[in-house]
Amino acid sequence: MSPDSLSFLVPLLVVAAVFFYLPGLRWRQGLFAVCNGAFLYLLLPNRSSWAALVLFLASGYGMARLLNRWPNRMLLWTYLVILVGAFAVLRQYDLVMALLPTSVLVRAVSIVGVSYMLFRQIQFIVDTMQGQVEHLSVWNYLNYQVNLFTLLAGPIQRYQEFQQQWDVLAPVLKDGHAVRAAYLRLLIGVIKMTALAPVFLGLYKNSARVLLTAGSGGAGLQPGLAVEHFFGILYFFPLYLYLNFSGYCDIVIAGARFVGVRLPENFDRPYLSRNIIDYWTRWHRTLGFWIRDYLFFPLYRAIATRRPEQAESLAFLCYFVAFFVAGVWHGPEANFVLYGLFQGVGVSVAKLWERHLLKRRGRGGLREYLESPRVRVASILGTLHFACFSLLFFPVGINTTLQMLRTVWDAVV
Amino acid sequence: MDPYREQVQDVFRDVFDDPSLMLKDEMTADDIIGWDSLAHINLIIAIERRLRVRFATAEISRLKENGANIASLLDLVTRKRKSSG
Repeated sequence: MSPDSLSFLVPLLVVAAVFFYLPGLRWRQGLFAVCNGAFLYLLLPNRSSWAALVLFLASGYGMARLLNRWPNRMLLWTYLVILVGAFAVLRQYDLVMALLPTSVLVRAVSIVGVSYMLFRQIQFIVDTMQGQVEHLSVWNYLNYQVNLFTLLAGPIQRYQEFQQQWDVLAPVLKDGHAVRAAYLRLLIGVIKMTALAPVFLGLYKNSARVLLTAGSGGAGLQPGLAVEHFFGILYFFPLYLYLNFSGYCDIVIAGARFVGVRLPENFDRPYLSRNIIDYWTRWHRTLGFWIRDYLFFPLYRAIATRRPEQAESLAFLCYFVAFFVAGVWHGPEANFVLYGLFQGVGVSVAKLWERHLLKRRGRGGLREYLESPRVRVASILGTLHFACFSLLFFPVGINTTLQMLRTVWDAVV
Repeated sequence: MDPYREQVQDVFRDVFDDPSLMLKDEMTADDIIGWDSLAHINLIIAIERRLRVRFATAEISRLKENGANIASLLDLVTRKRKSSG
């Protein structure tokens, strides 16, 4: 069920209206929980998927309780390895499936939103062990994990933030203006997802089809047409992805506000970023921040504490590891790994360039450089094109993308 | 006056290699050139070493959020030092 469908939107508006008049916290939480359960019921295909979900959630909550009482890094790491292994099996990563004799059995299990649940689970457990979760409650935890507004594709909300709102769950749209703003955002999200995004997806598919059917030699394609379709695959898929995903986020963020929950924002004009470091604070922000906080920071801290003299250069290794994981997290295919590695290259180049400027011009010179309007425009255009180019490898396999690029190259050169 | 302001300021000057850097309560990451994720974790590690405190992952993250500033950092450092005795 997609959030832009009537089967999602109509019940949402009905629930929002009922929620507003419910008399107390228990009733409001109860209604929210029933909706979470009903949503899950519609999405989980069979009993084995339910069993796997229960096991996944119970293990997470149980481990958090255990580590809260007896913090132990070895136990945490052991659990995380098992958890990530189970995730790889559920997502059917080729390498793992090749090693599994019971792969047929695993294929029957499908947990919707498991990628997002995994990150929420890790955050919950790590923060609980480090004493950053005030009180543990299985009721709160379950509703946090299966929150229908974040279940399918985020945003990745932090447990503490959810708990703070859940404990006092009440209407947050205090006046007519706030209600109208939420409805408007919902409408904008629906327009983005249903009217705009499909147009750009269609244009992307058309360009991709032309390039793929033109043959590997590109014999039947005029250079001008090849360039035109190259720009088609370069710009239209990023446009589609932004409109589709940010539209989805508009719907769930507005929808959650109807029932008293403020979700974190996931986009902040990403295609106006000045470099790839900036880009990952604006594009799928909650993923970028999660990777930063629960992967990059601990990894770099461990390295910098043990080998401080090499920390500066090993930071680049941490960038690549972080974005490799981000890539693999998107899916088991090689194109996602490549996408992640592209981001690692982009972030590393941005950091190296900043160091070079700092060395050559000093801090004042760097400030002047960053404040220059020309530099700003050039940086934004450069970053936009790097982001678009890396997204060429996102929707299809590497060979397919290379075939399209080869067709363009052969036609033009 | 925060008891650890001077020490934290020294850490900032070291990390950003800027001896003239003066910390103000309302300063945020946007006010200091180069205060990105890597600089942030370098600051945290240096403060941990200097003041013998240990920050939790969620605390490090909160210090990088919108709204966090030097005052929030100094406040956290003070609380950490107090709780560590």
